[in-house]
Amino acid sequence: MSTTVADLVARAQAAFNALSATAEPVSDELQYLADLETVWGARLRAVAEARGAEAAPTGAAAAIEALSAEAAAISDPHRAIDWMSTLPQVALAALGEAA
Amino acid sequence: MRFMDARPDGRAVVYAHIQADPLVQRATDLLAAATTTQRLLARAVMNGESTDPDRWRTMFPTLFGPMAPAVGDPVRDRSEAVLSVSLEVADRGDQARSQFRGAIVEALTERLLAQRTGPVHRERRILFDGRPAEIHPYDVTVEREAAAEAWDCKWGARGIKGEVIHQLDDARRGAADEGEKLLVGLVVFDARRSCEVRLVRERGPVALDGLRLIALEGLDRLAGRKPA
Repeated sequence: MSTTVADLVARAQAAFNALSATAEPVSDELQYLADLETVWGARLRAVAEARGAEAAPTGAAAAIEALSAEAAAISDPHRAIDWMSTLPQVALAALGEAA
Repeated sequence: MRFMDARPDGRAVVYAHIQADPLVQRATDLLAAATTTQRLLARAVMNGESTDPDRWRTMFPTLFGPMAPAVGDPVRDRSEAVLSVSLEVADRGDQARSQFRGAIVEALTERLLAQRTGPVHRERRILFDGRPAEIHPYDVTVEREAAAEAWDCKWGARGIKGEVIHQLDDARRGAADEGEKLLVGLVVFDARRSCEVRLVRERGPVALDGLRLIALEGLDRLAGRKPA
């Protein structure tokens, strides 16, 4: 069975959640983290709802895997916050979506 | 309303060396002509952990995958060059890369603005009659009569802070008090969605309708053209 867009959105969301956990010690940015979770979570869900059943575009599965590995390598909380903005954009680009 | 050079301080002297580094110029040359996805690649790599180019190529299938332009195509060549220069920035270490990234965003802003208007200057203060001058200079200004602009440049949305918004708004109101028009805004090398939530939280009493936001996806608007 081929990988679907919904599968990859779920994988990207899991990587995003891991970044959020890494970023959590930056207590004065908790509101910003919550805001990023809200807006990017909604954007990713919208893609899953619109195209979830579609087969993933060529190269997208490997892209999301590499993206997740990169996110998992981030241990600095401040860099994790920056990546909470970058990861969804990179995932959306791999899926052929605008940010 | 008058523009003048900022007073040089220790930070400015050190930063001038970064601004003059050929790496900043090469990155600026490439990013000025880049697509939005190529700029996103630059942001990810310059802020990333991995220095393995293949990992980044895998992450961006629309730039490097089988459906991307072939090797030798100018677009593909630029993608490779953006990746290469971004890895060079990332390789400078945490503190230096942060300074390089800031310098690149400012130089890119200057370059794109100059494609639409001018004269464009860097690190300038704006003075108004009867108002105390702000000490902090604006990163990039367009000093065109009746169509002046002042821009602050940020690498990421987290750089959007209340004091920055306040200073830009203060300049805009200062110009209006003198019967002049001053377009003020933020150029942020980050996702618009992230910038918007940051801006709304940090704005305080400042009305945002007088403040222009140019995020990563819309950088070409500085040059007066639609995003590539």
